[in-house]
Amino acid sequence: MNNFEFLPQFPLVANPLALFGLLLLAGALGGELVRRVLNLPRITGYVLIGLVLGASGLDVLDARMRGYTRVFIDIGLGLVLFELGRRIQIAWLIRDRWLAAMALAECTLSFVCMFAALVWVNVEPLYAAVAAAIGVSSSPAIVLLVARELKAEGQVTERALNLVAINSVAAFVLVTMLLSWIHREYQAGWFVVVLHPLYLMSGSLLAGTVASLLALGLAAWLGKRVELHAALLLAIVVVLVGAAEALKLSILISLLTFGVLVRNLDSEHVVMPVDVGRFSQIFFIVLFVATGAILHIGDLIAGGATAAVYVAARFVGKSIGVLSFAHLSGIRAGSGGLLSLALLPMSGVALAMTSSAGSSYPGFNAKLSAIVLAAALIFELIGPLAVQFALRRSGETQEEA
Amino acid sequence: MSPEMEFTPSAQLSVGVELELQILNSRDFNLARDAIDLISLVDKTPHPGEVKPEITESMIELNSSVHLGFDTLRAELRQLRDQVTRAAAQLNVRIAGGGSHPFHKWNERRIYPSERFKHLLEVYGYLAKQFTVFGQHIHIGVPDGDSALYLAHALARYIPHFIALSASSPFQQGADTGFQSSRLNTVSAFPLSGVLPFVHTWRDFAAYFEKMRGFGIVDSMKDFYWDIRPKPEYGTVEIRVLDTPLTVERAAQLGAYAQTLAHYLLARRGAPSSDDIYFVYKYNRFQACRYGLAGTIIDTDGGGKLPLQRDVLATLEILQTHAAQLGNSEALSALQAEATSGHSDAEWLREIHRTLGSYHDVARRQSEEWAGKAGV
Repeated sequence: MNNFEFLPQFPLVANPLALFGLLLLAGALGGELVRRVLNLPRITGYVLIGLVLGASGLDVLDARMRGYTRVFIDIGLGLVLFELGRRIQIAWLIRDRWLAAMALAECTLSFVCMFAALVWVNVEPLYAAVAAAIGVSSSPAIVLLVARELKAEGQVTERALNLVAINSVAAFVLVTMLLSWIHREYQAGWFVVVLHPLYLMSGSLLAGTVASLLALGLAAWLGKRVELHAALLLAIVVVLVGAAEALKLSILISLLTFGVLVRNLDSEHVVMPVDVGRFSQIFFIVLFVATGAILHIGDLIAGGATAAVYVAARFVGKSIGVLSFAHLSGIRAGSGGLLSLALLPMSGVALAMTSSAGSSYPGFNAKLSAIVLAAALIFELIGPLAVQFALRRSGETQEEA
Repeated sequence: MSPEMEFTPSAQLSVGVELELQILNSRDFNLARDAIDLISLVDKTPHPGEVKPEITESMIELNSSVHLGFDTLRAELRQLRDQVTRAAAQLNVRIAGGGSHPFHKWNERRIYPSERFKHLLEVYGYLAKQFTVFGQHIHIGVPDGDSALYLAHALARYIPHFIALSASSPFQQGADTGFQSSRLNTVSAFPLSGVLPFVHTWRDFAAYFEKMRGFGIVDSMKDFYWDIRPKPEYGTVEIRVLDTPLTVERAAQLGAYAQTLAHYLLARRGAPSSDDIYFVYKYNRFQACRYGLAGTIIDTDGGGKLPLQRDVLATLEILQTHAAQLGNSEALSALQAEATSGHSDAEWLREIHRTLGSYHDVARRQSEEWAGKAGV
């Protein structure tokens, strides 16, 4: 019998709670340091501190620790998507058709540009198509968080957020459709080719719908109490993230559907428009630190030139799409350019999509990663800057003009 | 007399209104900041009157043109409302009436980027942002400056009527103030608010103005935030105590009431009025703000203490023939029905808050009520 059993055994085993706290602390301090010293957005700071701690830097977070961070990323992303979804008003897209047309144009053009550019630099069509589909997305997390941090509101901000949501959905639908092609390429049976995308899409939509109906029913029963509604919504977000994970559904579509429907089905306005952001903030910080930690600087070198072509083609496609409809949509002159800039950051969801697109086929995954992850790294670093610039320049941030 | 104090005569007893309105986002119905985009979008299509910025980016002001009676005024305000509502819908924002926004926080407001408004922020500090309250101003056209001053003093007795009939600012900053019109408390904080000096000729008034300008206290007539103010440039007397009502119909009715009252007062114009009214003016004004039609006012012409509701109804009775002459009977009947029932926009808002349970719902219903048939 060892008398010292009550003491911990060394080396200490990684503990997800302590990890969460440390990531949060590192993010909060790092974000502030970057803001003060380099005058960059805090979000860039979170990603940078993640890079320093992660595989590309000090490698403090080993593989198992990075496994834990997956949960934090999922919850953070779930909260972002839910909040973004709640900002979408379907009625607006019907009223301002040019906004809908703009969304369609920038999605289509960016896909075509990226696909053409990648094929032109000799990427195989299947990889080019999947990468282009992923690139259609714009980052909900970066755009929403920069807008929150700057307390931005106005036409550029709201339209950017709506376009980001549409882009995320479009990217997901495209990737899901391409799944069939991937399955065929790897000689999967027809059964899988048809049913996998179908399950993913309809299952995620259904999960989101059930969650929103549940929220509406319970909110009506609770009555108009801010604290209770906040708790209710947060609880359902976390449950839904967990359920989507367990059921192998898409967190993106489930949570976005939940957010959109809880708002747009609520004709009686039973759910209070509570701001869950203050609570979510801590998950947002951890989300970015953890994202930084799993990115590899090495990818940048490997992806290099191809990624640069991809990034440029994406920006060109989106900008042409936005600019060709800017003057028709109810937006003031000169803000079309700022709007395209705000759509610059590609979604960190790209990381998730990359791994889920090819999860059954490791070989596929590796080839795709070389292109997409390098671009993701570029966007995580310059994206917040671009969005910050666009929102400040549009005069929609809280500071007096 | 300096050129800006030259009184432009108005040929007939005309009426025009200005309405300060709230711009709400459609997410949580807090105040939005889209005034610049909204005004430029509205101005892309021809419309009657004018749509102008106000002190913060969460406000716009609709100006009617000059009217001779209720019908055309109401028709024009409806058209203006519908055009602005449509433009707002394209920007995914909403427009609302009411004298105050129920839950916005004043420190989140931003000053509209124009030289004049930036100057006001510099002069008045936080008062400038707290001035994000929404009023209706009614202009009555008069033939000359002396008539303007007569009318301005004569109207002082009736100020509680306009406050009570338009009262729609029971909530401020997310709390019930207990007032029917809390908006005027915000106005009272300004050093140049209150009432005009008790002078009776335009010459004396112009001299007063020049003196104040000489002291460096004011630059123009715009700097006086009086409850009733002569506006020489337009040739009008401007009543500024009203909250913006919840609907344009009510706004037009109140315009018609002011026009009819002016018709009556100018018709019985006699010896200069006594300044006794200004001894009780603040008391009467407070009663109307605090209790609306349930308040009590002092009648310095021998009536003593009077329930405001009874005084309003008695006045509407007296005005009947004048209303018929001006084509304002429908408007005054509507006000009579409202005053008899004792209802007010402020009580309606409180009722919404009681039944729906949140200030977000109050602001949303304000915007729906404003949009009327145009929908939102």
